[in-house]
Amino acid sequence: MDHVTILVVDDDKEIANAIEKLLTLEGYRVIKAYNGLEALDALVANNIQLILLDVMMPKLDGLSTTLKIREKKNIPIIILSAKSEDSDKILGLTMGADDYVTKPFNPQELVARVKSQLRRYMYLGDMRNSISSSQLIVGGLSLDRETKEFKVDGVPVKLTPTEFKIMELLMSNPGIVFSAEKIYEKVWQEEAYAVENTVMVHIRRIREKIEINPKEPKYLKVVWGIGYKIEKC
Amino acid sequence: MKNVSRDKKTKIIAFILTVVFITAGVLQIQYLACTGREFESLFVEKYKDSNNFYFNHVLPARNKVMFLIENKKEIVQPPKDLEYYYYVSDGETVFTNVPEESKKLFDQYNQNLYDLENNNLILGENPEEGYLYHYADDKYTLFLAFPDEYLYSEQVDWENSRLTMMPYIAMMAACLVLALGLIVYLILVTGRKLGDDELHMGKIDKMYTEIQAFAFVSILGIWVSIGMDLFEHNSDLTYRLGLSQVYSLILYGIITVASVTLMGLLFLSMVRKLKAKTFIKHSITYIIYFRIKDFFKSFFDGRRFERFPLTKALFYRQLAFIIVSGALVIFTFLFLLVPPLMIIPPIIEIAVIYWYVKYNNKTYEEINKGFDESLQEQMKSERMKVELITNVSHDLKTPLTSIISYIDLLSKEEELSETARDYVNILSEKAYRLKNIVSDLFDLAKSTSGDIHLDLEKLDLRKLIEQTLGDMEDEINESGLIIKTRLSEESIYIMADGKKLYRVFQNLIDNALKYSLKGTRVYIELEEINGKAVATIKNIAGYEMDFTAEEILQRFTRGDKSRSTEGSGLGLSIAESFTKVCGGDFRLDIDGDLFKVTIKFNVEK
Repeated sequence: MDHVTILVVDDDKEIANAIEKLLTLEGYRVIKAYNGLEALDALVANNIQLILLDVMMPKLDGLSTTLKIREKKNIPIIILSAKSEDSDKILGLTMGADDYVTKPFNPQELVARVKSQLRRYMYLGDMRNSISSSQLIVGGLSLDRETKEFKVDGVPVKLTPTEFKIMELLMSNPGIVFSAEKIYEKVWQEEAYAVENTVMVHIRRIREKIEINPKEPKYLKVVWGIGYKIEKC
Repeated sequence: MKNVSRDKKTKIIAFILTVVFITAGVLQIQYLACTGREFESLFVEKYKDSNNFYFNHVLPARNKVMFLIENKKEIVQPPKDLEYYYYVSDGETVFTNVPEESKKLFDQYNQNLYDLENNNLILGENPEEGYLYHYADDKYTLFLAFPDEYLYSEQVDWENSRLTMMPYIAMMAACLVLALGLIVYLILVTGRKLGDDELHMGKIDKMYTEIQAFAFVSILGIWVSIGMDLFEHNSDLTYRLGLSQVYSLILYGIITVASVTLMGLLFLSMVRKLKAKTFIKHSITYIIYFRIKDFFKSFFDGRRFERFPLTKALFYRQLAFIIVSGALVIFTFLFLLVPPLMIIPPIIEIAVIYWYVKYNNKTYEEINKGFDESLQEQMKSERMKVELITNVSHDLKTPLTSIISYIDLLSKEEELSETARDYVNILSEKAYRLKNIVSDLFDLAKSTSGDIHLDLEKLDLRKLIEQTLGDMEDEINESGLIIKTRLSEESIYIMADGKKLYRVFQNLIDNALKYSLKGTRVYIELEEINGKAVATIKNIAGYEMDFTAEEILQRFTRGDKSRSTEGSGLGLSIAESFTKVCGGDFRLDIDGDLFKVTIKFNVEK
């Protein structure tokens, strides 16, 4: 990890300093910028592996900066923003960001997300070339039907057989909503009767294993009053 | 003196005494009547001058003597030994019980005492010498004479009667005088109180004057008529009271106390009203009159149109239009007499209609313009509110980010003392709580301002509740409470934003878990009633809920009594607001320790 350099962009100097300190403690090298233009300059001058980007900044805002960066580079971009609406998150992600963290953030969660993105970028990238037919990959999740291995950003995660089957079903159809009954019938191979709670509890357990913040899941989502799905990444 | 006289106790005692005196006075009269006393003896000194004598002695004697002469053929021997003397003649026959020569007696009386012209007996010069009655018409001449000896015993009885009654009468008079005095006193002090010179009105004064007057007169009428009835029919000639008479006297005494009390209260109330000069104003008639007058007056003194100046123009125009049109109808009839002139009223009418429609349209345009302007104004202020919320939210979140980050860094410092570490932990805990509050506040502000993004879709409410329960299983198990669910067998579909509705149920269940009494059950029910999906969450509070449903829901805008130290305290307000933005109905009932939330949505088929 010695050579990992992270660019932190925030017009609030105290926040930038805090993040710098936080990441330095984790062993990363940090370069700071205070607006979009400075960020673009820093990106040219340094070999940077990840960017933390604030949205509301003078000169060039975070979203425009993301667009500019994406013209040349595909390094991970994590957006930091005080805007917490779903529509803001979706906008940020469609602009090309890899993750969206709302302010005020939990520092530990931020660090976890940084690590997750770096892992995916640095190690998972190589794996993509050697995808076997038995592998299912959605975002940072990978599932091997033959070896029964489940990895999040390249890190193995232990799932019970039922949990594995649920993930297998959902990951084979990313973005498709499955009702509890359907999941139950496919996974348990039994007739579904009053199974909502059973399925929900399993979903929650899986979320605790694979999500950085289970309260705000990135992959495994509940569609309230309808069913469950894996977000298409 | 003033202090004593205005004291409440004094007044009450005076009132009671008044009632007692009046009752005593009335009962004394009734008692005398019951024992058959002759009240006439009080006013007429001589028995022979009294009506009693005339009706009980003179008239029977006269009838007897007249009977003799009218049936003279059957009469052989006229009675001689009567207590009085008589002489009767029809010109032919004469009946008398006096010797012929003594007939002069009558002649003598006749001359001295009798006024022939008026057929009246004049008792003037020698009244002690007995009583003479004379009657004459075309046919008969009649004389009756009652000698002194005969009258003497009656006169003694008459005087005895008077003497027996005198003490009672005196007492009665005293009672009534005292009562009158007390009434005057009560009239003077009623409505006044110790310590000030204000006029104080009581509850009874709220009765309208007519009702008071009517009640007063009615009670008086009933009381007096019962009294008269008793007075006339209850007499007994034995001069002693019978049992039934005693009973009727007691009954009448009670009636008197009741009626006098009621009348007294009504009377004093009317007196107070007179003092306060509200006697007329506080009557139904006056109020109706005033309302009607005020209604019409309000059209012309501008009060009715104070806030709506444009309606004023419309009203006067209408008034003018109606009057002119009415006048034109009359003119049309007049012009029928001169046919060529009949063309004039329709022309004027057309002109009036043109004027009326044109100017009314102008007014309506102005009204619409004002309406548009206020709508624009409102939209602008809504927009500003949303911007304000966004900006404030950003300005709160940015420093909070620094605070949380630096607290985290501080906690990683190795050479922190034990105390400092405790402080940092508290800081961290509170910073996260602040974060939650800011986030809840933002959600609530956005949803109440109406600027909230909704993803409405058809979803199964039963499923959503089950998912929420599954999602919160850990919290439920930790709480030690039992959740009892009774959800409908069938799916119930509604249109709503799933994420928002999840927040609603999450907040409500969270609330129930936090504030329920340990060991009690939380009931969650869902059923379809008349095309509505009705979900209820009930729990027993573990503390006294000394606030109303309104207060707990509006704590965002108002101060409140139950600020908690955990959570933002906005959970219920958010639940209510989110339910409403999704088109549902949110109702909170607090009944003793029972806390119940009902959520209703229209069912989607």
